[in-house]
Amino acid sequence: MSASDLPTKEANVLKGHEGAVLAARFNADGNYCLSCGKDRTIRLWNPHRGIHIKTYKSHGREVRDVHVTPDNSKLVSCGGDRQVFYWDVSTGRVIRKFRGHESEVNAVKFNEYASVAVSAGYDQSLRSWDCRSHSTEPIQIIDTFSDSVMSVCLTKTEIIAGSVDGTVRTFDIRVGREISDNLGQPVNCISLSNDGNCILASCLDSTLRLLDRTTGELLQEYKGHTCRSFKMDCCLTNTDAHVTGGSEDGYVYFWDLVDATVVSRFRAHASVVTSVSYHPKDSCMVTASVDGTIRVWKT
Amino acid sequence: MDERDLVFYGTPIEREEELSSRKKKAVAEASGQLRTLPTWKQEVRDEEGRRRFHGAFTGGYSAGYYNTVGSKEGWAPQTFTSSRKNRAELKQQSILNFLDDDEKADLEGQSLATSTQFDTFGFTASEVARKQADKEPSAIPGPVPDELVLPAAESIGAKLLLKMGWRHGRSIKDSSTDSLYDARREARKAFIAFSSSDDTKSNIDGDANHVNDHSNSLERPVNDDNLSSQYTPLNALQPKQDLHGLGYDPYKHAPEFRGKAGPGFGIGALEEYDIEDEDVYTTAYDFEDTVVQEVEDSSKPITDHKHRLTWKEPGILPGFKVASISDYQVEKFNAPEVPKDFVPRHKFAGPLKVEDKTAVPPPPDVPPPEDSNMKVLIEGVATLVGRCGKLFEDLSREKNQSNPSFGFLMGGNGHEYYERKLWEAQQKYKDQKKLPLPSDGKSSQKTEKMNAENRGKILGERPLERSSSSLVSPDVNLQSNLSDTFMKPLQFSELPEVSKPFKDNSAKQERFQQFLKEKYKGGLRSGESGGASNMSEAVRAQERLDFELAAEALEKANRGQQSNLSAQQSMDFLTSAGMQFTSAGVEQSKDTLDKDFEMKKMYPKREENQWRPSPVLCKRFDLVDPYMGKLPPPPRMRGKIDSLVFKAEFIPVPRIGDKTGQNQNRSSGGLQSSAQGVRDGSADEEEDEVVVDVENVERPVDLYKAIFSDDSDEEAETSKVSKVEDPEKKVEVANATLNRLMAGDFLESLGKELGLEVPPDLPPYSHTNQNPSALEKETTGLNPRDGSSVKMKITEEDRKQGSPPPSEDRMDRRHSKRQRRYDSISDSYSSSSGDDSDRDRYSSKSKGRRKKGSSSRDKKSSSSRKHSRRRHHREDVSREYSSSRSSRRDKDRGESKREKRKRRD
Repeated sequence: MSASDLPTKEANVLKGHEGAVLAARFNADGNYCLSCGKDRTIRLWNPHRGIHIKTYKSHGREVRDVHVTPDNSKLVSCGGDRQVFYWDVSTGRVIRKFRGHESEVNAVKFNEYASVAVSAGYDQSLRSWDCRSHSTEPIQIIDTFSDSVMSVCLTKTEIIAGSVDGTVRTFDIRVGREISDNLGQPVNCISLSNDGNCILASCLDSTLRLLDRTTGELLQEYKGHTCRSFKMDCCLTNTDAHVTGGSEDGYVYFWDLVDATVVSRFRAHASVVTSVSYHPKDSCMVTASVDGTIRVWKT
Repeated sequence: MDERDLVFYGTPIEREEELSSRKKKAVAEASGQLRTLPTWKQEVRDEEGRRRFHGAFTGGYSAGYYNTVGSKEGWAPQTFTSSRKNRAELKQQSILNFLDDDEKADLEGQSLATSTQFDTFGFTASEVARKQADKEPSAIPGPVPDELVLPAAESIGAKLLLKMGWRHGRSIKDSSTDSLYDARREARKAFIAFSSSDDTKSNIDGDANHVNDHSNSLERPVNDDNLSSQYTPLNALQPKQDLHGLGYDPYKHAPEFRGKAGPGFGIGALEEYDIEDEDVYTTAYDFEDTVVQEVEDSSKPITDHKHRLTWKEPGILPGFKVASISDYQVEKFNAPEVPKDFVPRHKFAGPLKVEDKTAVPPPPDVPPPEDSNMKVLIEGVATLVGRCGKLFEDLSREKNQSNPSFGFLMGGNGHEYYERKLWEAQQKYKDQKKLPLPSDGKSSQKTEKMNAENRGKILGERPLERSSSSLVSPDVNLQSNLSDTFMKPLQFSELPEVSKPFKDNSAKQERFQQFLKEKYKGGLRSGESGGASNMSEAVRAQERLDFELAAEALEKANRGQQSNLSAQQSMDFLTSAGMQFTSAGVEQSKDTLDKDFEMKKMYPKREENQWRPSPVLCKRFDLVDPYMGKLPPPPRMRGKIDSLVFKAEFIPVPRIGDKTGQNQNRSSGGLQSSAQGVRDGSADEEEDEVVVDVENVERPVDLYKAIFSDDSDEEAETSKVSKVEDPEKKVEVANATLNRLMAGDFLESLGKELGLEVPPDLPPYSHTNQNPSALEKETTGLNPRDGSSVKMKITEEDRKQGSPPPSEDRMDRRHSKRQRRYDSISDSYSSSSGDDSDRDRYSSKSKGRRKKGSSSRDKKSSSSRKHSRRRHHREDVSREYSSSRSSRRDKDRGESKREKRKRRD
């Protein structure tokens, strides 16, 4: 994929959130997108047609992260009210509320089978919640972090989380071990490459770092954007050819994966770009910003 | 819809079968079907099965007749009777017939209706006046046609113009492009359209009024004018954009929420609002200060008459809603740009005059007068005048006209010397002012140097007692003493060239001198000082520390000279200190490339630990539990394993009772050491460096080795190297040994139990990537204070590129790892490999040293605390040392809170 195929043209603007949008995520097949924000709502959109489909209200404070199951039937969301909400997508009702985090919950993800949701909290812990049983107690609490856990990713066998203590920790359930990669910088957001071999970690020194998962080597560093104080997402494109991420000045950056050059940068929002999400198949991207809009980008 | 959901108004036409069915239902529901519903969904029904209004305090009552406004008879229709004698009146009903008094009052105050009083132009007034004039000499008998034909409230022309967008008070050709104006015009148009349609309705009863109006229309012109101004608000400076009434204060009874509205609205009453709830985006995003509009609003039926009649906002038309997104934008102007050369300081007229003089070539350098008292006096006055301006000179001249010792002011003895001194003082003062500007650093440095020498001549041999024994009048004496206190720190700058601690970095040296000057300025620390403006906060703080350190060293050296102690010794320290500082300082001002390089070398760092996923988690992930069949370690034991073997992030808990006392010792020592002076700063840095390395070392192996190897050789080594070993440390050693033995036993049993393999050579649970193989060397300096030898370790890389930057980021990392560092300390005696034990010993030794010197440094450290983040960390370290895990967490969190508050979304 060449640089010209990057989604740099604005296709739609999704307006509706009042206040900052904190996360925008494509669903598994990329037909829909979910967003959540400071207005305590989660919104479901069709980004390709620019339509707002549904609003999920129940959170008492800002919603920081949302994730949808691969079959699009359930949502999980978390936020400032220290709870993890488990939603039914179609009815818009909360099925379960998982309480237990001692502080704000920064991120949440389903596992592959949507049987477990793992949340990362400001209380320096990861908690995994059972979506199958009716228990609202966490299955397991991982509290080896020494600072707020900002981001979590799940693979089939692992839980990976990045924390402000500078570590990216991989908890391998199959082997039963914890691998901690210390980056030396507070980690804001982590994101897996599509082949699952690398972790892209956004650090607060305005650098994205690409780690080899097997060896823990630092493969590449991506610089140019500003990321000093906000939680901002980063991700790889669907082909793993480019790395993308937002900047605090409202720009969106694309780097070449291999030589780390800035391939493209453009002003996407008026303010901090909090979230970027790349379409799983097409050359399409959604970005969310503090300015209250979600923008859909296509080639 | 189910029947029971219906609410009946009026008298229902009862049907027999219906009644019975309802009764049946009522019985059925009473029998418990309803009970299953939550209380708030249950309904109270009467024996007929009809819903009763339930509520109040008495357990239910019916409002009106079965919750209707009717009576038992229901709404009785008006009986219409008309006979030949008594014809039925045609009753005119208006809305007023149906309103309560208060509603009427409301309506009158706020309703929208055309009125003849609405006279913006004053046209009506003039018309009335004209008519009045016409009326008087009216010759035509009978009703005047003018009065029969009601005048239009507005001329058709005005009406048309208004509909076209023209506004009262504007000239017709005036076309404004202002968007605000446009919006208002639109609103006005709609307003007019609406009101004219209302006309037809209200005119019916208004007709009569109109006639009356004209009879007493004489009064009207009086208030017309001010009404017109009322009805045409010309410029609303702050357009209302919310739905509240005018003057409505949403926080009237809840002042604690003032200023906090916005995204956090709707938080439960029990959730406390803490500082974290601030909107971190406020700077970036101007959140509208409105109550969040519920979507339901729009779904409300528009036939809400009450709402429409009693709308409260003067700015909003009935049937309209305030736009949630308004086009209205306040034009913003950026703050004026401050010119770069602007100095935010007012220049007074006095010094200005003095400065003018300095353009004059300097007076010749004259040898000082023989009389030392005279010399001191002259210098004192010159310094003061130099600082305070010419005014002071005039003043003292007046004052001391009769005093022969002040003859130099009047051109007498020593006048030339005074001139010279004054000039020097002025130069000096000017330099001082110039210094903060880095732009002219070069030139000021030159003058600085010269001045330093001069000052050396002038102030070097000026002990206080001499000036007190002088003949001068007491007030002058006082003044010169005062100037002394001002000038005191200048002594530092007169130090010989050799002792300048930062002489290889002229800019830094300059800043250092500036620092010295400002240190005692008026007894206060000046706020804006320190560092070049292009330096980051961290670097500045670091430099500040260096300076304090150096300043203390210099002061000490000075004292040493005065008391004729071994100057050599102090100079020794000075040079060594200087070396330290420069090595730390030069590298800071360098590019961050070094740092990056360092970073890359250090990070990423990989560690592996054992982690036990819960069986349920494995099940849910559809994986086989790696620990299946293995006994879960008992929870109590687990802490031990973790702290001893796996080296996860657990703080070593005090294990046995008799250790607590010792722990307290340690912690108090740690606290003291936290308040330790700046002088140890660089050494500590190195220590930190070492500690980082220590973390890479594989603990478990060491432990194993330690357990199974003889440790007597280590002990010997330890005692050989550290001469100044505290008694405390011996206790520590004993404890460590004890722990080790316990751990050994435990490990053995554990190994049997779990079948854990612990290979003797390879690290089983952890290995390190890119572990910097640091060769360490020791350099020994002489500590002039306690005479003990200070050992400094500088790693090989440090030598090459200067010592690593103790940047804040890295401090953070250290901070997060410190509990492991203490692990390493307690383990230090168990390690056998030379390198490691060396390092460990070093760290624990320096700890001991810290305790010793701490008390004497307390004072100084407190003064510099706010400047050093580093110390902050150190403080944490020592405090944490003995604290439990939970308290550590709280602390960490508190510290990084500020940071994180922003960081989190």
